[in-house]
Amino acid sequence: MNAPCTTVVTLVAILAATATLAPRASAQDLLPKGAPEARAVVLQNAIVHTMDRGTLIGGTVWFQDGILRAVLSPGEKLKLPDGTEALWIDATQKHIYPGLIAAHSQLGLIEVGAVRQTVDTDELNDQSPEAIARTAFNPDSAAIPVTRTNGVLVACVFPIGGELPGRASVMQLDGWTNADMTVLGEAGVVVDWPALPDPISRRGRNLRRQGPPGLPGAALVTAAGDDRDPEAAVKKERQRLDETFARAKNWHEQKASDANTPPDLQAQALGAALRGERPVFVLADDLEEIESALSWTQSRSLRTVLVGGRDALLCIELLRERDVPVILTGVHKLPARDDGDYDTAFALPAQLAAHGIRFCIATGEEFAHERNLPYHAATAAAFGLDRERAMAAITRDAADILGVGDKLGTLTVGKQATLLVTDGNPLDLTTKVERAWIGGREVDLRNKQTELAKKYRQKYAQLPPAK
Amino acid sequence: MSSARALFASTLVVSLALSQGPPSNGPAAADLRYHALRGAAVVVKPGQRIENATLVIKDGRVVSCSAGAAPPDGARVHDCTGLTIYPGLIEPFLAIDVPAPDADAPNVHWHPSVLSQRDPLAADGASKQDRELLRSLGFCAAAIAPIGGNFKGTGAVVLLDEPTTGHKAQVVRAESYHLCSLSMRFGSHPSSEMGAISLVRQVLADANWFASSEAVLTADRSASGQRPSANAALAMLSSRRTLPLMFDCDDELQILRAARIAAEFDRPMVAIGSGMEFRRAQAIALAKVPVIVPVHFPEAPDVATIGKQQRVSLRQLQTWEQAPTNLRRLLDEGVKVALTTARLQDKKDFRTNLADALAFDIDRDQALAALTTTPAEILGCAQDLGTLENGRIANLVVVDGDLFDPKARIDAVFVAGNRHEIEAKKAKGLDGTWTLTVQLDPKVEVALAIDNGAIKATIGDRNPKVTNAAVTNERVEFAITDEALGTGATWVRARTSTDASLTGTAHAATGTYAAAAVRSKPAGDEQKGGKSDKDAPEEPTETGEKKDDAADRPVIAPLATPLGGYGVLAQPPARDVVLQNATLWTSGEQGTIPLGALWVKAGRIAYAGPREGLPPDASKAETIDATGKHITPGVIDCHSHTGISRGVNEGGEAVTAEVRVQDVVDPDDVNWYRQLAGGVTAVNQLHGSANAIGGQSNTVKLRWGSSHPDAMWFHGSVPGIKFALGENPRGANGGGNGRYPSTRMGVEALIRDRFLVAQDYARRVASYEALPPRDRARTLPPRRDLELEAIAEILAGKRRVHCHSYRQDEIFMLCAMAKEFGFRIGTFQHVLEGYKVAEAIREQAIGASAFSDWWGYKFEVYDAIPDNGAILREVGVCVSFNSDSNEHARRLNTEAGKAVKYGGVPPAEALKFVTINPAIQLGIDAQVGSLERGKDADFAIWSDDPLSYAAVCESTWVDGAERFSLARDRELRATIKIDRERLLRKALAAGGKKGKTAKNDERDAYWAAEDLTASYCCRDCEGVR
Repeated sequence: MNAPCTTVVTLVAILAATATLAPRASAQDLLPKGAPEARAVVLQNAIVHTMDRGTLIGGTVWFQDGILRAVLSPGEKLKLPDGTEALWIDATQKHIYPGLIAAHSQLGLIEVGAVRQTVDTDELNDQSPEAIARTAFNPDSAAIPVTRTNGVLVACVFPIGGELPGRASVMQLDGWTNADMTVLGEAGVVVDWPALPDPISRRGRNLRRQGPPGLPGAALVTAAGDDRDPEAAVKKERQRLDETFARAKNWHEQKASDANTPPDLQAQALGAALRGERPVFVLADDLEEIESALSWTQSRSLRTVLVGGRDALLCIELLRERDVPVILTGVHKLPARDDGDYDTAFALPAQLAAHGIRFCIATGEEFAHERNLPYHAATAAAFGLDRERAMAAITRDAADILGVGDKLGTLTVGKQATLLVTDGNPLDLTTKVERAWIGGREVDLRNKQTELAKKYRQKYAQLPPAK
Repeated sequence: MSSARALFASTLVVSLALSQGPPSNGPAAADLRYHALRGAAVVVKPGQRIENATLVIKDGRVVSCSAGAAPPDGARVHDCTGLTIYPGLIEPFLAIDVPAPDADAPNVHWHPSVLSQRDPLAADGASKQDRELLRSLGFCAAAIAPIGGNFKGTGAVVLLDEPTTGHKAQVVRAESYHLCSLSMRFGSHPSSEMGAISLVRQVLADANWFASSEAVLTADRSASGQRPSANAALAMLSSRRTLPLMFDCDDELQILRAARIAAEFDRPMVAIGSGMEFRRAQAIALAKVPVIVPVHFPEAPDVATIGKQQRVSLRQLQTWEQAPTNLRRLLDEGVKVALTTARLQDKKDFRTNLADALAFDIDRDQALAALTTTPAEILGCAQDLGTLENGRIANLVVVDGDLFDPKARIDAVFVAGNRHEIEAKKAKGLDGTWTLTVQLDPKVEVALAIDNGAIKATIGDRNPKVTNAAVTNERVEFAITDEALGTGATWVRARTSTDASLTGTAHAATGTYAAAAVRSKPAGDEQKGGKSDKDAPEEPTETGEKKDDAADRPVIAPLATPLGGYGVLAQPPARDVVLQNATLWTSGEQGTIPLGALWVKAGRIAYAGPREGLPPDASKAETIDATGKHITPGVIDCHSHTGISRGVNEGGEAVTAEVRVQDVVDPDDVNWYRQLAGGVTAVNQLHGSANAIGGQSNTVKLRWGSSHPDAMWFHGSVPGIKFALGENPRGANGGGNGRYPSTRMGVEALIRDRFLVAQDYARRVASYEALPPRDRARTLPPRRDLELEAIAEILAGKRRVHCHSYRQDEIFMLCAMAKEFGFRIGTFQHVLEGYKVAEAIREQAIGASAFSDWWGYKFEVYDAIPDNGAILREVGVCVSFNSDSNEHARRLNTEAGKAVKYGGVPPAEALKFVTINPAIQLGIDAQVGSLERGKDADFAIWSDDPLSYAAVCESTWVDGAERFSLARDRELRATIKIDRERLLRKALAAGGKKGKTAKNDERDAYWAAEDLTASYCCRDCEGVR
């Protein structure tokens, strides 16, 4: 029954052949997408990190048609239905984890940060709930394979800019079209809670970075465009936001009683959030922001996920009382205040865990550096977060908070076969992701950068040795 | 320079004699300034007081002052019994508007901020309002000076007298100082503080050149060489060398920076302070700079809500609390201090604020000196001003009480013998409460309350209507309507008989009756004497406040440096210590030693190796068991913008090689502390990348808590300079504003041009210097050009280029140019496509300093790969990984770890990417970068494999002294909590005046933000959209 090694070798050989045919150093992702796998795939004798029922040393994972069919302890015997054609893979000494999830990203919406033409994050108006991330998600962005190589297989993509930037989408990082890649198109409505510029960094999170940088204070223009009285501007923005939700609620009520109600795309876009089917992702960092934002979502009975949460520790009771989960946007961050503990952001996850707050960890790094996601969790672990919990913060808990916990985040029968085979714990820098499957399709772990490295190593192999 | 002005400067003319004036229009009044002030206590000068003195002044000067002397015949005698006479106060800095010279005039400096020739006497002088205001505070003379620019013009000492016909400003000294500043101009040059300093430096160098050229030409009109063209600003600076440079400083660090430049050019210097000098009083004392100190204090921060409290830093709170101690701390350190009313929003607050400052047990003689003799000395007017010794200008302040009691009435000032009344002794008015008795039958008693001409009357429980009230100091008249007095109005007229009684008549409808009133005084009022009744009600509150003030007043205890939560009270000592049993990552030939011993002594490494080899001498040292720990050399960050005050880019010009980051080290940046917490011990502070040829870089050691910023300099490091290629110097991502270059072709051309010009410059300087002394005396010296000098140093191999670069073509271009011009590049920075041209870098540069895995933020980094470092190393390039970010700088150990992950660099070699390799690149590898005997004891102790994310830095040492430890950090956190709590309560109690916070810290915060929002300063803003 065990004949896996040959399969692996063959696969690598095929990929190598593809690489030699591919044009070099292109701006696009030229790798083939994962091929459908008709066979059952069985990973045997692995260290299986289920993320929901502990670690199974010497366990077995079986998936087929993109779905996990069995996750077994060493004692349990796998029985495949008769006649099943299977790919058996020996994973001795290898670890299996659910795919890592980048919970707050602009992956696929940005190709090159400074080139406006390649940036699809920010619709013109300050309120654009009609914008939905999956629509602009570029399946061939070069950043996608780069991200995937380090085991990050899923990303929740957020539009940004203005107080109501649009709706976030959970995307899996393999597929021929963005339709293929959409796990949950409408994950929730993004609300960038209007706030004063941060006192220390002076960067309001929701400030529009408009015009050429370089002029002092240029970035301090609030979304409402009024930098003379920022407090009044913030108040105005909050009122405007509330008005939009009030109007949308009214529209849905009218629509329910009168089918001839004229269309309103924005109101329609807020429907799922207003009905409580989807959360609002509220971006807020500062204590005052968090308190006022949560009080607003409470007043409108909106399901809330707090995104950012820098001062979460200062309002623990509130978060616990409302059971608001938090997406921490980055552990590798400076303290916001001069007097802050140098490890404020490093230690925050451990402190939230100690207080029983639900949270997951994101990078807070837009699009190009999602591959460092496990290292944000690793730093949290070095500063007191249980390592198992740190892994959960980039898998299980992220999936649950994003509303895809039924499909992703753990190795549980019935969920999607989105998983990694590694030679160690992803929190360890030197751990190598050896193979990965997204929705049961094995993905190519090479990327533009690995290929450029190969290409230029060839150059130096051609040169005469240095004196 | 007009000859009239030169005359003023050389002879210190006091233009008082009327004969100099125009013919009088009609009979001329005699100038009878002959006064004898009798009976007062005269403070002749600080420390000399004569009771019951007779002070005689004549023709505007003091003639004599002696106890009990009879006034001379002919003098006008003033009875000053009970009063105190002080020398008139001197305001050393009164800014006035003086128009800038016409920019097209043939002799102006090319730079619009260089206006040294500007003459404050050419304008209107001190305004009438300022004169009156200053006199009311006791000032009799002021140095007026123009505002605007870096070299603003001269200061002139004038009397605060009212001009008489034909004598507008009465000048004591026409030229007292050169007013300068390190100010910037947004969107122009200089746009950074380091740019401003460089401009000041070049101008002073030009002034020297101007003077030496002048000397040659004086000896030989036909001397050969380049002659300076007429330049009024340079002429002024070169001919008035003994006048101090008066630097108007925005903060305490600027004082130290200005002092360094003044010393560099051997110029005397005085600083106009910001009021925040107490934060670095010791360093200012060591710099021996006299400081003109304002008594402006920040208002209490607004801490009304928890949210607002979160926005206030401990440093702000401390600054607010400690600001009034500024004067005391400067005096304690022995700084020469003069006081100024400048920087006060309202100069009227001067005496009250001064009293707050003096409340810290400041000797009154010292305070008086700071207002009289010291400013006189600083302004070069000590022969004329500052004391009441014979022959001095008769400037005096006559005070009813102690000059330093803000409540004491200033009776008058005499300016050059002219008396100006300030506040006459108040006549005892009729204000107050009276009981008026009208002799009707029966008698009617009316209670009267007289307040500033208004009268309120009470009869029984009624308040009858009072009309037609007329009150003078002697009499009162009014009409009152009340049933007790009969129908209709009753006219009351009364006049004083004694201070406390009035007598008169009441004309009622029924006839005229006698009326008399007596004061109904509150008990104890009599004792207070001298105070008017109007003041009386305020008194209890004032005393109350005073008491609170005293309780709230901070104790004069040493302050941490820098001020704020993480400062230190004293530099930690270098220890004699052995760290036992740790894994030593030496980054040297010994590689990694599993069970090592590290012996640190006198700031150096005395031994690093296997524990068995520890020399016996080490047994005397303290031993620390470091079993299970990892020790690495201190991390070195080859690309940092931490701690650069006010602007990382001098973007005002395309080439700014003259700009020096070392001029603007900011030792207060809390990021130094945070980076120590990440094991960092040295960094390369780089200019930004807006210019093809940027400013000079600076290598520092993280000597956190240094009292002088220059103490952070890494002595012995090889000088560096920033170059930048590609999108940033092109201005491709914004900020281009029409400046050359706008293509990579132009970048190449610009650098080539500067190299050629610098070569030519160096040749001219060398040939001049090679002249025999006789010929040299007849040859005009070449102008010293600080920009070309720095570029010539590159070509001579004395200054290393650290070149911001991304794409392979631009890297290749600079390699080729370096080869052509015959020098070796220091490092390529970022160098994200370095892997494509590694062999060229290997040949022409000392090394490459890259990000581990950063990419995607702009188009020129689209081909960046994380194997870059590994490939460069494989080809033989010395590679470092840097941060370019205050945040990443704390995690360079794991950035190095990425070289293991991407490209398989062996761990010990990967660690070198942040230890010995950057040391080699910066030319500090003889001192630091590895754990080897004889090197500086700069190292970090980690809880785990330093290349792994599990590692926490537990302790960091610089020069053998522990500058960070987790244990100490915990203590500091506890202290910060307590201090914040105390100060927040205090600020709350102070009422949290709305909207205003410590002025300087607002500015600090602004600049911190500016650094973040400006383009091309660090990785955090690279490619910001």
